[in-house]
Amino acid sequence: MNFEIFGAWISVFLTLAIFSFLYKDNPIYKIAEHLFVGVSAGYWMTIFFWTQIQPNLFGRLWPSKEYSETGIWYGLYDVLNIVAGSIFPEGGIDKGHDLHFSYLIPLALGIMMLLSLFKSFNWMARWGIAYTVGMAAGLRAYGYLNSNVIAQLKATIIPIANTDLPIFSLLGESHFNNFILLIGTLTGLLYFYFSKEHSGVFGKVSKIGIYFLMISFGASFGFAVMGRISLLIGRFVELITFSSSSYHHASLWVLLLMVAILGYSAVTEKRTEI
Amino acid sequence: MDFIINAILKLGKVDRRWIFLVIAIVVLIPLLYPLALPIRPTATSQQVYDAVETLPKGSKVLLSCEYSPSTKPEIHPMVVSFLRHCFKNKHKIYITCLWPDGQFMAEEALAEVAEKEFDLIYGEDYVLLGFRPGNEAVVKGIVSDLRKLYTIDSRGTKVTEIPMMEGINRFEDFDFLFSASAGYPGTIEWVQYAVDPTDVPMSTGTTSIQVNEVMPYVQAGQVQGILAGMPGAAEYENLIDHPGIGTSGMDAQSVAHLVIVLFIILGNLGYFIERNKEKKNRGY
Repeated sequence: MNFEIFGAWISVFLTLAIFSFLYKDNPIYKIAEHLFVGVSAGYWMTIFFWTQIQPNLFGRLWPSKEYSETGIWYGLYDVLNIVAGSIFPEGGIDKGHDLHFSYLIPLALGIMMLLSLFKSFNWMARWGIAYTVGMAAGLRAYGYLNSNVIAQLKATIIPIANTDLPIFSLLGESHFNNFILLIGTLTGLLYFYFSKEHSGVFGKVSKIGIYFLMISFGASFGFAVMGRISLLIGRFVELITFSSSSYHHASLWVLLLMVAILGYSAVTEKRTEI
Repeated sequence: MDFIINAILKLGKVDRRWIFLVIAIVVLIPLLYPLALPIRPTATSQQVYDAVETLPKGSKVLLSCEYSPSTKPEIHPMVVSFLRHCFKNKHKIYITCLWPDGQFMAEEALAEVAEKEFDLIYGEDYVLLGFRPGNEAVVKGIVSDLRKLYTIDSRGTKVTEIPMMEGINRFEDFDFLFSASAGYPGTIEWVQYAVDPTDVPMSTGTTSIQVNEVMPYVQAGQVQGILAGMPGAAEYENLIDHPGIGTSGMDAQSVAHLVIVLFIILGNLGYFIERNKEKKNRGY
């Protein structure tokens, strides 16, 4: 059997199965949904294991460079080799690393996180989570401060009385655009100032800030619609490709089958209601 | 007049499944019968193109693939066009992936462009370093010591045995970065942890939904241009004079947008008419 054609039929079935939810929730949609969740979880786990845990963790704990048949450490490795030879190949893992015993710490933290599956040991998972949260918080604090606060603040320091600039330009720099940027930034920030009641002049200024925010939300909505339509186009392009005779008109047959099944179930449901 | 008002009110109460069907039809028809609507590059797409053009021949370009099959229609055409543009200008391409699926997307793009179109040699003209889990920690790792993170490439070859990896030890050894991003981790993490601290120039191509989030970095000059969703991909295809899937999808995109705008107008009209009717009934 030609696997390309088989793959095309599977792809068409799953696409139309997901689309069938637009009609109503149904078992065909559920099959596709569950399949997606299961395959994604399995795929991610495999990729994570073979791209990070095996080469970068085990590869640093038992590198082939330091392999010796006599030591206790590699004696343990030889036992692992007997149990799982594909993960722990004979003679150590050759991924270009040196031996680093410090990597026993992430190994221990990883195992402790997995222990959350057992009720009596689930407190241990907190250590691993605490490390991850702490590391992420530290990393992000710097990144946000540098790129989102300082750099963005710098970008708002713009000349509003520069005679070289044109009065108005739709896209490029101009007095008008700089003025809009300044007003938008100030009023937008003032809207989020909650230590003073939003009334009087302050209320009016913060209301201008709301309008700027609303324009931004409108743009976000427009982009979201554009994105969803793009994805729909992507699926339709594939469905059109797979409806050709070289794929035995997969799209048309699967569509017919699905309409027939959903139509039949709608009719039987109506009869049961009566 | 009453007939129009009643029709608008009826449309407001129509089953949403009819709207889905209408959208499906208006997307499908232009795909089957293209209208060839004109595509003009926006300033931000032009900026990406110019940034690649100004790089000297043989520049070391890092391409990061952070997308999956679910966002392929938007990002993949950008990656394919970007590879075409870079290979045409004789640049060396290094690919990393912050998303596991990105590796397979990159493999597909390389097979199409590097192998079939340009007949280039793996390891000399391009290399796929592959995926590493860790999100922003991976970006930090590439910035500080790439070789610690990548001792092997996606094919399992030791990085020390790959000719084009000579002299590449950290992020600053690259001349340019292009992030093909569909979310987190992606463009923003590259800006925060790699580009801002090192000043290596960067451009990006993102999904439409991310554009508003990334645009402030473009406006502030932290990112040199952005390819915004499928239209961005189409514009870039137009700029490099090689139409592809992005261009062919733009007719459908434009028609669908017109219909959605029409629905929004009708929906609002229906709302206002109904509100006025209610006010009249209450005697206001």
